[in-house]
Amino acid sequence: MVELKPIRMEEAARYLGYGGQMPDETILALMRECEKPLMEACHPAYSVGIFDMECCGEAEVKLAECALALTGKDIVNHLVGCTKVALVAATLGSGVDTLLRRLQKTEMAKALLTDAMAGAAIEQICDDIQAELSRKMPLYRQTWRFSPGYGDLPLSLQEELLSAVEAGKRIGLATTAGHMLTPMKSVTAIIGLQDMTKELRKVSTEDGDALSAPVGACAAGACAGCAYHDSCLSRQDKTANETTDAEASDGGKHE
Amino acid sequence: MSNYPEIMILDGAMGTELQAAGLPLGGVPEVWNIEHPEKVTEIHRRYIEAGSQVVYANTFGANRLKMAKTGYPLQALIVAAIGNARAAVLTSNNKNAKVALDIGPIGRLLSPLGDLSFEEAYDIFAEEVRAAKGADLIVIETMSDLYEAKAAVLAAKENSDLPVYLTMSFEANGRTFTGTDIDAMALTFSDMGIDGIGVNCSLGPAELLPMVKRLYTATKLPIVVKPNAGLPDPATNTYNVSPGEFGAIMRQMLPYGVRVVGGCCGTSPDYIRELVRVVREWEAERDAIPAAQDNTSAGSGFYPGDYEELTRERNTRPTGICSANKAVWFTEPRCIGERINPTGKKRFKEALQNGDMDYILGQAISQVEAGAEILDVNVGLPGIDETEMMVRVIRELQAVVDVPLQIDSNKPEVLEAALRIYNGKPLVNSVNGEEKSLSSILPLVKKYGAAVVGLTLDEAGIGSKAEERFAVAEKIVSRAEAVGIRRENLQIDCLTLTASAEQAAVAETLKAVAMVHEKLHTGAVLGVSNVSFGLPNRDLVNATFLTMALQNGLTLPIMNPNSEAMMGALRAFRLLMNIDKNSLAYMDAYRDYVPPTAGGAGAGSGAGTAGASGAASAKSTVAAPSGDATAADIASKLGDGAASLYTAVVRGLSAQGTELTKSLLTTMDSMDIVNGVLIPALDTVGAGFESGKVFLPQLILSASVVQGAFAEIKEHMRRSGGETVSKGTIVLATVKGDIHDIGKNIVKVLLENYGFTVVDLGRDVEISAVVEAAKRTGTPLVGLSALMTTTLPSMKDTITALREAGLPCKVVVGGAVLTPEYAVEIGADYYGRDAKATVDIAREVFGV
Repeated sequence: MVELKPIRMEEAARYLGYGGQMPDETILALMRECEKPLMEACHPAYSVGIFDMECCGEAEVKLAECALALTGKDIVNHLVGCTKVALVAATLGSGVDTLLRRLQKTEMAKALLTDAMAGAAIEQICDDIQAELSRKMPLYRQTWRFSPGYGDLPLSLQEELLSAVEAGKRIGLATTAGHMLTPMKSVTAIIGLQDMTKELRKVSTEDGDALSAPVGACAAGACAGCAYHDSCLSRQDKTANETTDAEASDGGKHE
Repeated sequence: MSNYPEIMILDGAMGTELQAAGLPLGGVPEVWNIEHPEKVTEIHRRYIEAGSQVVYANTFGANRLKMAKTGYPLQALIVAAIGNARAAVLTSNNKNAKVALDIGPIGRLLSPLGDLSFEEAYDIFAEEVRAAKGADLIVIETMSDLYEAKAAVLAAKENSDLPVYLTMSFEANGRTFTGTDIDAMALTFSDMGIDGIGVNCSLGPAELLPMVKRLYTATKLPIVVKPNAGLPDPATNTYNVSPGEFGAIMRQMLPYGVRVVGGCCGTSPDYIRELVRVVREWEAERDAIPAAQDNTSAGSGFYPGDYEELTRERNTRPTGICSANKAVWFTEPRCIGERINPTGKKRFKEALQNGDMDYILGQAISQVEAGAEILDVNVGLPGIDETEMMVRVIRELQAVVDVPLQIDSNKPEVLEAALRIYNGKPLVNSVNGEEKSLSSILPLVKKYGAAVVGLTLDEAGIGSKAEERFAVAEKIVSRAEAVGIRRENLQIDCLTLTASAEQAAVAETLKAVAMVHEKLHTGAVLGVSNVSFGLPNRDLVNATFLTMALQNGLTLPIMNPNSEAMMGALRAFRLLMNIDKNSLAYMDAYRDYVPPTAGGAGAGSGAGTAGASGAASAKSTVAAPSGDATAADIASKLGDGAASLYTAVVRGLSAQGTELTKSLLTTMDSMDIVNGVLIPALDTVGAGFESGKVFLPQLILSASVVQGAFAEIKEHMRRSGGETVSKGTIVLATVKGDIHDIGKNIVKVLLENYGFTVVDLGRDVEISAVVEAAKRTGTPLVGLSALMTTTLPSMKDTITALREAGLPCKVVVGGAVLTPEYAVEIGADYYGRDAKATVDIAREVFGV
């Protein structure tokens, strides 16, 4: 399950146009004031469906046992090298829309800040969904999140994407006549899954041959559940004393 | 022979069974009614053979929106679905099995959550109902939006005579996706003439059990339960409760008023077979208990321990009213806020005449923040269309506040329009003892399942004696019961008269309240504040009268929640009567209470002092460290007070801004404050914004200060009858198809700051509405906003329509995806890069 974590203020600040800077103390204090009502209004929920890619034409991707056909060249490019596709629908729920409506009538500055913070919150939920997916499918590398309306993938696929993951029934997500998502703080995404076992390479260790993923290939957090955890040279979860100087300079990430 | 009707067994899942038969995920199940009728019929037949007495035809999504892409006419899909179910009945072992028209959610959210209007939703459902020839009953299921469910129930009731059952879907937190809880569902529909109410889908029987218990205490209707086979595994999509476990938990629910049972997602004929077995076994055991023990079953070992307690709660709980997300039971005194009412309020009358919704909403929000639990809504004013205004105000109110509403009008046509579009169960204010009122208003209250205030006056006027008013109350109660309104839904108003004019009448009112409370057992309403009219220190008289009336049985005082004296009296009463358990609410309200000191010789002087010191400190923090040339300049030209206000705006200090404006208004001309202080301050912030030193939140914060200052200035001008502050009128709209309007709202605030009057048409605005508003106002500037690329064509069409109407106005467009080039391409006169740029454009167009 997804859990709402403290809002990433630097992310919200980015949405507010601050670039890499943080807002001044007055605005930050106001943001902190907005956080509690926002968290109370959020009821995050998501629905994910994993489908095998059935065929991939020049401008169409079909999924096995799924009525949704993804059209356009951009989605084909997005899914190059993938064998599976994860369809994701996530929402903060309608309470946030109501909160924002009320704030826009009373305190516009807070409405603006809350709107940006809600944007950061739904992105965080999506990041968590991807991390969860990594834990469940450690040997699949994920693409970034591609959504209907990006490039030449029609926005009008929104309804079929929602019904493929039963988003109406499961998380209360719907669209408007113009294919916009309601509740408004919601995301749909198409994530390609690349089978990394096809890329594993043999490495020689003191104990003989073992398999290893290519350096930097795996999703963050994927190591814990990986079948090749012990032998992999690209492991991201090594503790400091496991890391040799050579590996440390190799860009290995640490939690 | 049992004394009870047999529990009715429904079917199990259709969707998961169709998927097992080959329907792909995201496929349209209803198409199979025509393309694979034999498979659909076979699923129905297996359910009937397993013991289902009702099968749901495969029409869950059969509405014109969802079926548009299938290529089949809606009518054909529904007729085929009912035909398949009927064929299954005729070829099964139970020819008495019934066929239900199954109505599921439309798949689009209703406004304000989405873009579908209530009326369109009603039409969609009515079309389904009318197409369902040959069905035996109508089931409305899996609803998560109370408003949508209400549209469906009305459509079913008004377009057929079939029995109607409603089930909504609740999440583990006890609320639907749109925030409705069991109580609000029960209150809204229990008196609307449906045949059963309950829960289906979303969760397994174990999770639904507590909700069923709650529902048992909140409704007297038969309860319907159709749970999933537990919870789905997100990876495999399989459910985790076996038929045996399903039956065992369902059995635990049966005592709590459950009369109709079945299964939803993940259940199959095996689940239904097991359900039939446990239900019939339970019925046999129940019928074996001697009738005398039935409701007082302690010790019989048949009913669980909490049954007796919940039954008592069910039998003693009076009714209540609700919004979509909040139920207010009439179990204790509740404050009804009286401020949304033009009577004797000049400012409110103006707001109604100008359609100034923001002012009305502001009144609503401030009352709720002060503790109002219900809001009275009265918009009757000569010269305005009361029906249209009532509907508009209710729609706006229910979009931003969650307290239930009291619809205040004596005109049946106004009440009916309001009852129809109200999202929840309202309190109607009011019916009275006159024949004309009784015969026109009570049927409306009955039809829409509302609660109603009965005024104790009739053709003979207001009786001077308590007994006379009580007699009218009795008449209202008996007439209401005659049309089928439950007594709990009546709230009698014994009428407060003014003590300064009719001093002796006050005691009669109190006596009448006591009589109604003790003898009629209805609730009692009073408009409390009338009592003190014409007297000094009205708060004192009001609060005292309120306490006296509460002690006599008043449950719903209509009062000013912003009056601390009255709210205090209500809080203290709740505490003293042991209603506010452990004094929690009282302690919460007075946590930061500071007793007035002897030195503070009056609120007025105290506030004045605070204002002055605030000004001083603002000044010292500003001019010196920032070395702001403009602040110094303003100080030299207009004085230190003006410079402090300037600084408060630049720094975004709202409270100070309002206080400083108040004190400046005593020495400075209104327009000088606007032009000499507020606008230069906004320009300073705006320039910082343009150069990237100031960010949008700071700009809006400064705008909020100016907003507060403007409110003071307008109020001051109203009192002194001065000239208007407006620099001209601009029409703003977020275009048709687009529901994201925060950008437009930001522009609005800033334009208003610069003294423009903004006619805000809202979001998803019809093209014709923009043209009409531009024509009506004669505005030289229309602003259009769109967030998404997909709504840009709609922006273009709106501009074209404005041009074709031959209107001389300029058009400024803005929004995240717009570019200056595209603005030119679609025929706009200006591209508003951001809110500040749009203000500059407006100043150019208006030459101010």
